[in-house]
Parts: sequence; C-alpha cells; structure tokens
Amino acid sequence: MASSVLSRCVTAAVKVKRFSPALSVRRWLLSAAYTDTSLWEAREKDPHNLAQLAVTMDRTYDKNLPVSSLSVSRFVDNISSREEVEQAEYYLYKFRHSPNCWYLRDWSVHSWVRQCLKYGARDKSLYTLKNKVQYGIFPDDFTFNLLIDPYIKDGDFKSACSVVEEVMLQEAFDLPSTQILSLYALGSYFAARPQLTMSEDRAMGASLLISGLKQDNTVGLSAQLLGNALLGKVEILGGIHAVFRGMPLFWGRGYLYRALAVMERVAAASDDIKLSKDTLDHMGELLQELSSSSDSDSSGEESGGEEDKKEEAGDEDDLAEKAKLPQYITRFKELSCQLETRGKVDSASLQDLVSTFAQQNLAAAEKPDLEQYESRLQAWEAEKRQLIQREKEQREKANQEREERLAAKAAAQQA
Amino acid sequence: MVKKKQVRLIAEMARKIRAYRELKSRPRDSQKYALDYDTMKRPLTGKMLPVLAWADVRKESRLFSILASMRMFGVGRLFTRKSWLEDHTEPSYWQITKVKVDYTAENMDHGKAWGILTSKGKQESDVKEVEKVMYHDWRLIPKHEEQQFTDFEPLPEPPVRYVPYPPLLRAMLLAQHKKATGRVLTEEPILPLKRDVRLNKDYFRSQEQARQSKEGTEV
Repeated sequence: MASSVLSRCVTAAVKVKRFSPALSVRRWLLSAAYTDTSLWEAREKDPHNLAQLAVTMDRTYDKNLPVSSLSVSRFVDNISSREEVEQAEYYLYKFRHSPNCWYLRDWSVHSWVRQCLKYGARDKSLYTLKNKVQYGIFPDDFTFNLLIDPYIKDGDFKSACSVVEEVMLQEAFDLPSTQILSLYALGSYFAARPQLTMSEDRAMGASLLISGLKQDNTVGLSAQLLGNALLGKVEILGGIHAVFRGMPLFWGRGYLYRALAVMERVAAASDDIKLSKDTLDHMGELLQELSSSSDSDSSGEESGGEEDKKEEAGDEDDLAEKAKLPQYITRFKELSCQLETRGKVDSASLQDLVSTFAQQNLAAAEKPDLEQYESRLQAWEAEKRQLIQREKEQREKANQEREERLAAKAAAQQA
Repeated sequence: MVKKKQVRLIAEMARKIRAYRELKSRPRDSQKYALDYDTMKRPLTGKMLPVLAWADVRKESRLFSILASMRMFGVGRLFTRKSWLEDHTEPSYWQITKVKVDYTAENMDHGKAWGILTSKGKQESDVKEVEKVMYHDWRLIPKHEEQQFTDFEPLPEPPVRYVPYPPLLRAMLLAQHKKATGRVLTEEPILPLKRDVRLNKDYFRSQEQARQSKEGTEV
C-alpha cells in the first residue's frame, strides 16, 4: 500500500514539475489521466473471501471438473496484499493448464496487471508476461501501455524494452500511443549503446522493425532501418532460421538488402522524410564489423569436417548472403553519400527524434484511447453480469434437479 | 445338427469392459506426439522419425508451439507450411477458426485446430480440421506480410477441349436417343476431356445410390 501511495506522489510530483516551466501543458510519457485508477476503482465491487474461492477452486480441480473463468476473475479482483498476488499467480497457472484455458477473460488480465502495479509487484507481472505460455497473460493494448509506462518513468529502459518485445511478439502495435511509447523506450535503450547478445539483438531488431513499419515518418523509417540492420546482422551470423524462429518475421533472406531498400526509398522520396544520423552510423559500424569478422572466419576456418557437415543445402543460401556482404557495403556507402547530398540526414539522435515526436503526438493519441477504454469497461461489466447471471441460473437448476432426485429416491424407498 | 451357440454373457461383459478401458486409456496428443530431440524417437511407441525429416524437426516448429504463445491461440491468423513454400509459388495457407488445445501438455504445444484452407490461391468454403498439425513444418505469416503473401492473380484456366465419341459408342447413344424420344439426334455428341468430379468416397456412394434408385429393387 505504501508503495502505491509513493508511486502516486511521484507521478504527482512529475506532473507538477512539468507544469511549472512552460505555460502550454506538454505531456510526455502517459499523462496522469491515462494512468488514473479512478475509473477502474469505480466499477462495482464483488467482494469474495479469497480463502473460500481458493478452497472451491481446489475442490473443483480435484474432482476433475472445469473451473469457470468467473472464479478466476473474482480471485484476481479481490487481491489485497502482496502474498495474495503470489497465490493468484498459482491459480492463473492452474487455470491455464485446465480445459477452460481459452476462456481467460480480458478483464481478468487487465485486473491482474493493475493489481500487480498497485501492490508493487511489477517484476511479477513482467515475469508472468514473459512466461505467457504458462500463465496465459495476453494483455490488450491499453494494458500494455499501462505496463510500459512505469518502467519508462523510472528510467528502467531494459525492462521497458522487454515489455515492448512482448508487444512485438503479439504484434499489438495498433494504437498510436503504444507505437510512440515503444519507440521511445527502444530509442532511449539504444542510446545507451548496451552490449547485446544475439537473441537481444534479434528482439530489439524485430521490435524496431515492426513498430517502425506503422509510422511513415523520420522516426518510423529510422527505426525500420535500424531494425533491418540488426536482423541482417543476426541473419549473417546465425542463418535465416535464427532470425524468424519464434518471431512474427518474414522468412525471406536479405534483411540487409531490405535495410538498403529503406535508404533508397528515403533518398528517392520527395517529401520531408529524413533518416537519423546515428542510425546510419550504427549501420555502417555493423557492416564493418560483419565484414571484418567474416574475413577472419574465412582465413582461419580449417576446423575439421564438422563444419562441412553443417554447411548443407539449406545453408547454401546463407553463404550466398554472406558473399553479398561486400556488395552491401559499397551500396551502403553510395546511398549514404546520396542521402547527405540531398540533405536527408537528420543530425539529431534517434532518442531526441523520438522524444520530440512523443511530445507532439502523445496527448492527441491518448484521447481516443481513454474513450475506448471507458466503453470497453462498460462492455466488460455487462459481460461479467451476464456470467454471474448464468452461474446463478445453473446453480438453481442443479439444486432443483438434486431436490427432484432426492424426492424420487425418497418416494422409491417408501414404496 | 449343430449344437446351439452358447450365449457367453460374461465374455461379452469382459469384451465391453476391455473396450471401455481401452477408450479411457487412449494417450493424449501431448503423449502421442512427444519427441525426444536427441534420438529422434517418439517415447510412446519407440519409433524413430524418418531421416529426411530430422533437419526440419531441429530447425522448424510445430503449429501449436507457435499457437501457444499467441493471444487466443492464434484464431484468425494465417499459417503456412515450409513444404508448401518450397513446392509451389502460389500461396497456400490455413486460416485458423477453432482451437482445442491439449491442456495436459506442459507448454500447451499439442492439440487440434480447425480452419479454412486456401490451397494454391483457391480458398475453400468450409471449415476443416487442420491436417499434419504435429509436423515440424509450420510458419506464421506476420501481419505486415499478410497482404503481400495472399494477393495472388491466378492464371486463367485453359478452355476445356472436346473430342468426338468412339464410333460404336456414338452409334449406341444415337440409337438410345431414338428409342427414348423417337426423333433423330441432330447435334453430334461430344466428350469433354475434363470431368468435374473428385473421386472420393462421397462421390462413389452417391453414384451407387443413384444407380440403385434407377434400377429399382428386385422382386
């Protein structure tokens, strides 16, 4: 509870700081109206004793009967402390591994994320999100925004980027607010120039590419370029299967070629789209690194027949890609000269570009989200009431049948 | 005469109980299709997979391995198979409409799925069960590639050619027509070189029924 009060004070302090310097209110990062919990708290409460619910659920599981999604949603709604968050996690896991796993409701997932954020269990929600196969947590876009925001506000860009990776894996970059927030998180994480492993490279590249594809401006195209470059690096180092396995990416080879195609497109386009300088620099460094590593590979490569066995029919195409690397480097140099002569290189870094972009557009993007959220809340309430009604009817029917059966048995005994 | 056949009630009951127990102890999908990736053997039957499949099994994934990590188990998304991609350039894909996942699997990566097949650009009209779900061959079509993957202009089909009937059969047809109607058939009977029937069980059954109804029951 104290942590939630503290976080609310922090957000209030941030809001006050923003107000003081400028007359025009600039909301960057989600405004307090967006992360406000008052709408959520204002729904009708359905108090249940958690212990009783737990006992009922355990008994239903023991009898091999299906547990309804309503009981799980009731359990998640009535969490009131950190330990109960852990218990709810256990029941979510059990529900996912039961026959009704498809029916986990959207509002249960939303409520789970809200409760985790309220009771300071942010890392727990991130853990369940990462293991979505085991817990069945598939948040909708509003919930994703709510989850990315506190990490950005704390400056923990690594975790923010892992949430963005989950958004990418669900291909949920539909709302402009989600796109802005994720590009912001990715840009800031990238500006710190961390050392990335291959899998992190692949995740970052994929997130940049897919979020960049939705935006048709400087930010989007620079993100696409950087994403394609990173994926091209993974492709050259690990083969095309290492790129698209487990990711919603296209299996066609030549990601570096597609990166160069982005540059060509920007160079040929007549409107005011540019590419950020540091993405171009990064791509250049990447290409140099790859060519130098491939030279050292080919010179010192005599490590026995195992290598030959691995290089079979499928890898012929991968080798063909590697052979195209010098061509890519020359083309890259040509295209970057072209871009510079046409003035299409923006000297601001990706992070600055994204921050300005966010400042301009986030407020406008938030409004339709909030309206949609309100209508969605009402739809959820209606559905919940319907489920409760259905449960009551079923219980009455079961009671009636039981009474009839008992009466019939008593009559049979008497006769 | 032959002695009357003994009615063995207990044997009947035993047979029924054995059938019931076999029904109850059927292995679940997750047990049936589990695979040991080091020895390429199925633990349930001990059989090994064919050698040509080993490379694919190591590199690609099953349909449900992809579906398990998607919202609503990927209902409404398009999936294609690597063997289709290699076989022909026309797009072939399944659009998933219903999923029944085997909840006893640890990573929810077995089950049955139903969907609409589009094979070589021609979409079918009804929902069928997805075949070869457990094959390590499946690929997800990303949303940003869906449009490009699915638009496909089929080549126009060449027109059907016709040939004249063999002379004896032609004579028989003309005679039959004259007997049935009394008039001489003016147009030449021609045989199309393409039959629009799929030779499957339903077709033969319907043909059998039509033949029986025409012949009538024997007295």
